[in-house]
Amino acid sequence: MKSPLSLTVAIVVGIVILIGYFVPSPSLAAIRTPMLNWAMTLAGIASLVAIINLIFGVHWKRLRESGSKQFFSAVVILSFLVTLTAGIFFGPSDSNYQKVVTAIQVPIETSLMAVLAITLAYSSLRLLQRQHNWMGLLFFLSVILFLVINSGVMAFASDIPILQVLLSGFHNVPVAGARGILLGIALGSLATGIRILIGSDKPYSG
Amino acid sequence: MQFNADLIWTITSFILTLLVFTYLFGENPVFRFVSALFIGVASGYFAVIIIYQVVLPRLVVPLLEGSLIALIPLVLSGVLLLKLSPRLSRFGNVSMAYLVGAGAAIAIGGAVLGTLFGQIKGAIAAFEPQINAAGISPVLLILEGGFLLLGTLATLTYFNFGAKNTANMGPRRGLIAAIFAWIGKFFIAITLGAVFAGVLTAAITALVERSDFILQTIKGFLR
Repeated sequence: MKSPLSLTVAIVVGIVILIGYFVPSPSLAAIRTPMLNWAMTLAGIASLVAIINLIFGVHWKRLRESGSKQFFSAVVILSFLVTLTAGIFFGPSDSNYQKVVTAIQVPIETSLMAVLAITLAYSSLRLLQRQHNWMGLLFFLSVILFLVINSGVMAFASDIPILQVLLSGFHNVPVAGARGILLGIALGSLATGIRILIGSDKPYSG
Repeated sequence: MQFNADLIWTITSFILTLLVFTYLFGENPVFRFVSALFIGVASGYFAVIIIYQVVLPRLVVPLLEGSLIALIPLVLSGVLLLKLSPRLSRFGNVSMAYLVGAGAAIAIGGAVLGTLFGQIKGAIAAFEPQINAAGISPVLLILEGGFLLLGTLATLTYFNFGAKNTANMGPRRGLIAAIFAWIGKFFIAITLGAVFAGVLTAAITALVERSDFILQTIKGFLR
């Protein structure tokens, strides 16, 4: 056993929070609520650790190495420091600060999404070229069908009963598939969670 | 054209949009510059949000108000910061264990109460006439519910990779499981196609919006 303290903390915290879902006891809630609040605080601090590691662990180190990546790491560090300093000085709710951040973030995010449209269309065509099996073909036909349905071209179908039944049937196929996939994910999460709570998996001991 | 702060930010947005669109000609230094800028600004903004919404109100303010219980998350947070040092990172394992334990419990609760119960209820509801739209014949309702149930079970079976070891041909699924898994593949291909079409529709919408923004900005400059 590598660290009995970490194992005990994970099991006790997990079991107390889990029992709270199924046992509505006020005395249990008095322990569980602050425990959940501490977990939220720790999640925020963990994100901060990740950001510090990205900036000073990865990009700062790259800045000291020679190579073409130096310039881009300098851009990351500089833009991070300017945004952080301005944010701490003015506060995140300051309207000018918000305007500057969104004027940079929103166009880049939306443009990346727009570029994704072309990249996805190109990659799906390449997938069809390479996957010469019925599943690849079915996937491609499904994409075409749902793109047509999503576009609103089939709006006239509401006047034709047979077409309406057919479209409803088409819609049911992904509903059933998505339900199966969601149940699979839930069962997987359940199994992984239980393995952590009984101490079989210790992803925190790295 | 009047020169004001809004115009500066419109020009900034216009230039950034064009720089991102250079990716259509392949990976290039201009696109990498915009990506680096995006990462820096996004992480800086996220850090500010964490400081103002987590560190100050949840750790600093309660401590200044004299709450001793605030020492527990403060100590756990301090220990978690040791994860930044390769030599001291093992001391941060306790905080990570706390996070993982709480996360596992939340995941189990969400999976059982949110997904498992919810989706099973949804599968049952497909057979209930009072929940479904009036006027549908019971036979059609059973057929539709049965089709949904078959799809759900077949998809689940596809993800079950348990197999029996046969003498000559190695591990193989049982006959019923193999049939269900084959049907499951059909449902999965169509579901992933529908999801892909949804993502593509959202991306095309963004493409139309950005193209319109570029055109309107150029028109504005020419006026």
